[in-house]
Amino acid sequence: MSQTGEAGTEAEAEADVETDDGTFVGTGLNRVEDHRILTGEAEYIHDITPEGCLHMALLRTTHARADIVEVDTSEAEAHPECELVLTGEDVAAEYNPMPSGLSGIEEWALARDSVKFVGEPVAMVAAPDRYVAEDLLDMIDVAYDTQDPIVDPVDARRDDEVVHEELGTNVPDEEEFVFGDVDAAFREADTVVENQYSWGRISGVPLETAGVVAEYDTERDRFDIDCNIQLHTLVDDTVYEPLGYDPDDVSLSVPPDVGGSFGTKIAIHRYCVLAAIASKKLDGTPVKFVEDRIENLQGGDMHSSDREYLVRLACDDDGTIRGLDVNFVDDFGAYPRYPVNQTLKPLAVLTNAYDIEHVRYNYELVLTNKTAQTAYRGFGVPPHLYALEMAIDEAAREAGVDPYELRQSNLIGPDQVPYTLPSNNVYDSGDYPGALAELKDTVETQELTEGGLLDPEVVAQQREEGKYRGVGYSVHIEPGVSGSDWTDRQRTDRETLENRSREDVAELPEYLQGSVDEDGTVVVYLATDTSGQGHQTIVKQLLADELELLPSDIEVSYLDSAEAPTEYGTAASRMAVMLSGAAQGLAEAFADNFERLAATHWDIDRTAVSYRDGAVHRANSDETLSLADLAAIDEDYQESLTAAEYAYDHPASEIEAFDEALTRKYPVYPTAAFAANAPIVEVDVGTGAVEILKFYSLRDCGTQLNPTIVEGQAMGGLAQGIGAALLEEFSYDDSGQPQAITLFDYLLPSVTNVPEMELLHTETPSPFTATGAKGTGEGGMIDGPASIAVAINRALEPFDVVVDEIPATPHRLRRKLRDGDE
Amino acid sequence: MSTDTTTDRPTREISVTVNGEEVTAEVEPRLKLSDFLRNYVDLGSVRVGCEHGVCGACTVSVDGDIAKSCLMYAVQLDGKEVTTVEGISEAGSLHPIQEAFHEEHALQCGFCTSGFIMSAREFLAENPDPTRAEIKAALADNICRCTGYQNIFDAVERAADNMEGD
Repeated sequence: MSQTGEAGTEAEAEADVETDDGTFVGTGLNRVEDHRILTGEAEYIHDITPEGCLHMALLRTTHARADIVEVDTSEAEAHPECELVLTGEDVAAEYNPMPSGLSGIEEWALARDSVKFVGEPVAMVAAPDRYVAEDLLDMIDVAYDTQDPIVDPVDARRDDEVVHEELGTNVPDEEEFVFGDVDAAFREADTVVENQYSWGRISGVPLETAGVVAEYDTERDRFDIDCNIQLHTLVDDTVYEPLGYDPDDVSLSVPPDVGGSFGTKIAIHRYCVLAAIASKKLDGTPVKFVEDRIENLQGGDMHSSDREYLVRLACDDDGTIRGLDVNFVDDFGAYPRYPVNQTLKPLAVLTNAYDIEHVRYNYELVLTNKTAQTAYRGFGVPPHLYALEMAIDEAAREAGVDPYELRQSNLIGPDQVPYTLPSNNVYDSGDYPGALAELKDTVETQELTEGGLLDPEVVAQQREEGKYRGVGYSVHIEPGVSGSDWTDRQRTDRETLENRSREDVAELPEYLQGSVDEDGTVVVYLATDTSGQGHQTIVKQLLADELELLPSDIEVSYLDSAEAPTEYGTAASRMAVMLSGAAQGLAEAFADNFERLAATHWDIDRTAVSYRDGAVHRANSDETLSLADLAAIDEDYQESLTAAEYAYDHPASEIEAFDEALTRKYPVYPTAAFAANAPIVEVDVGTGAVEILKFYSLRDCGTQLNPTIVEGQAMGGLAQGIGAALLEEFSYDDSGQPQAITLFDYLLPSVTNVPEMELLHTETPSPFTATGAKGTGEGGMIDGPASIAVAINRALEPFDVVVDEIPATPHRLRRKLRDGDE
Repeated sequence: MSTDTTTDRPTREISVTVNGEEVTAEVEPRLKLSDFLRNYVDLGSVRVGCEHGVCGACTVSVDGDIAKSCLMYAVQLDGKEVTTVEGISEAGSLHPIQEAFHEEHALQCGFCTSGFIMSAREFLAENPDPTRAEIKAALADNICRCTGYQNIFDAVERAADNMEGD
């Protein structure tokens, strides 16, 4: 099921608009992906329905914690349209458990002896259409022996009862990191502030749910699986291992268009495995499954961070912050997917943009009877920045100083960059105090004037009506471009980390492959999937510059997991940086091959030919060979010299400053995009409702490859940040029942919640990357929530009320306004 | 699909004008309009995002009014006219609203885009010169998870400008 041809980019002549210096990188080239989407021709996973395809449906438990006594499938099996019924025992008899994020936990694609969260699949059926398949689910009878669920993560730590008997504890992982002399910093400081902060369980909730079409090849004993999994060339082990097949025999192919992922679709392997098993049982009949929204929200394996923080700051009377002490409990639900990665990623931005030398970082990873946690844009960082910024506000309150001044005086200065954090990650470039000052100046010029949103007269008038306005200023770092092997720290014996050397560090490169068609078109293949970020456009821009072609001379398509090498892919704000390096390397490899081919053809020395402007030129002559000529010649020579490939290593691997972090398996994110934010909010103290009147944001992600796409990422991320700050939450009641299983309960921001955004951009190129670009895919979701909370704190200063729970819903704020800060 | 004769589920014949063409089909009364359009008429632009009427990705036009096709049954369409994104422009060309979405980068993953285009199309037909507040009200029933809406606003404004005098 190759995707070639379906990724049609309809490159228009109008797209070939260059900058003044004749290059395409740096222009807001309109996206080449748009045409097929706008006309409805794009094929997402739900559009793939092979001839004779059967449809799978899953029976999901309604109990948070229960033993399975009996599963009676006889009535369903007797139905004339039932093609297949499988239970957990059927799967376990022939296949393997799914990989777990922590050792000692066994998870099956269908529950076997017990269920551990509401929505966990217990049985699957296949039928000619989804409506009938869902009828069949009603005919399956499951007898349960229910137990009281473990719901509160803080209580769960007592281990009175445990989620996994074989584990014997609900706290399977915890770790304390101490950088510097934390005890002394807290002992010697003039003041210590301490507070608790809560971050509610949220997620990406892409508009398109997870889906798969699996087909077993009976003759070759292998699987072709179309699915919208994220990172299909990295996490394919989550599919082939449970199936018990070699990687080469399980081909995962992702449609060119995926309806959003934001990290969440990394963990859709359960569906891929079940559809594959079903197709094999049905002698190769294709089997399709697309989650419905309720399945997605309650049991789609895609919830994310759910944390209770205790943060302490050690401060001096002159405003110097000496020390930071961060403690948190993270509720990972019943089955952790990428737990240690997510609890540790904040080490890459440990003190955010502040210069704080002594830091303690301590987490407890807790299991409860809830849906599993996986990745969501920011991967554990947004709650950290939120808790840290709230503590900074608390310190300012305690000291009676303006929080803007306290922040300014503790920011890392431009003369300190590159800046090595206590946790050994390095910030590459940027002027954080300058950015914050510039933003404040802009906001005050535009809004602190007559008729502006912060016009003192207007502010006073609004207060008469019970509406309190505030603006909060803060700076945030976005850690970009993961790729080293810190993400499997949990599988490493912590003691052996002491003896690791730089040579033990594994890297995850980004791979590009290409060839020249007979008409001279360069066809490039990405080894990763995409979900709306415009990678086809970006690769066209990069390669057009490198090969001195037009974007319309280049086609961009995708490899499946069997064709592609194991590499990393689209996550952790990697692609701008990794594709920059990969495109440069691929172009060099191409040019080298073109020159060799031409030299062979002309039978002259290599040094007498050179590639430029889309052709190889023969020295001291007018003779040239175009790419189409070269393709024809290559046919004759059969040397494949019009094909090339390149794997770009992670940039940190070349930079000594990262050696310490890499060796010790601390998170390494070599680019530090940053944003100075100033949302202006208005809180109705009668209802507790927060309206964001305008969102000012000054953003810097180094060199912008495509400013239009950069701005789109920023605005989309900020909208998700607004949802996280004010609206979204997967809450559970005491019986472990999820309270948000429709989009009526899980509130996504609509056009009415997202304000006008005034974005300002600066460009501080990264010294660490090929084009100076920094990763910027997660920014707004990382910095949005914290900065909104800072603004609400300012608005509610007269009431001494602060945001210590996210989302800051009307109900929560109203309660605090009524009852005080108890 | 669900016309299997081995079962005794009832079906009903419907006749619908889809994008100007007459379509006759034998369908179960429980078949959602969204599934009918996608699976019987092969109209891929109709995206299914929530199936409970919140996200708006499945928005189509029924007898000139927008409707969330996941909240209607196909049998309700008997004798009616339905228009989807496939029917708003000639093959190979873009409607001014589609054009404006492209120019303003008003789509990323694109899963919500058809629904926004259909909502904007009906809205601009009735309000050719809208204010931003009117645009906001018109788009409040469609969810986009990628763009943050600002570019969608701008696209609808641009389309309104470009369609002036149409």
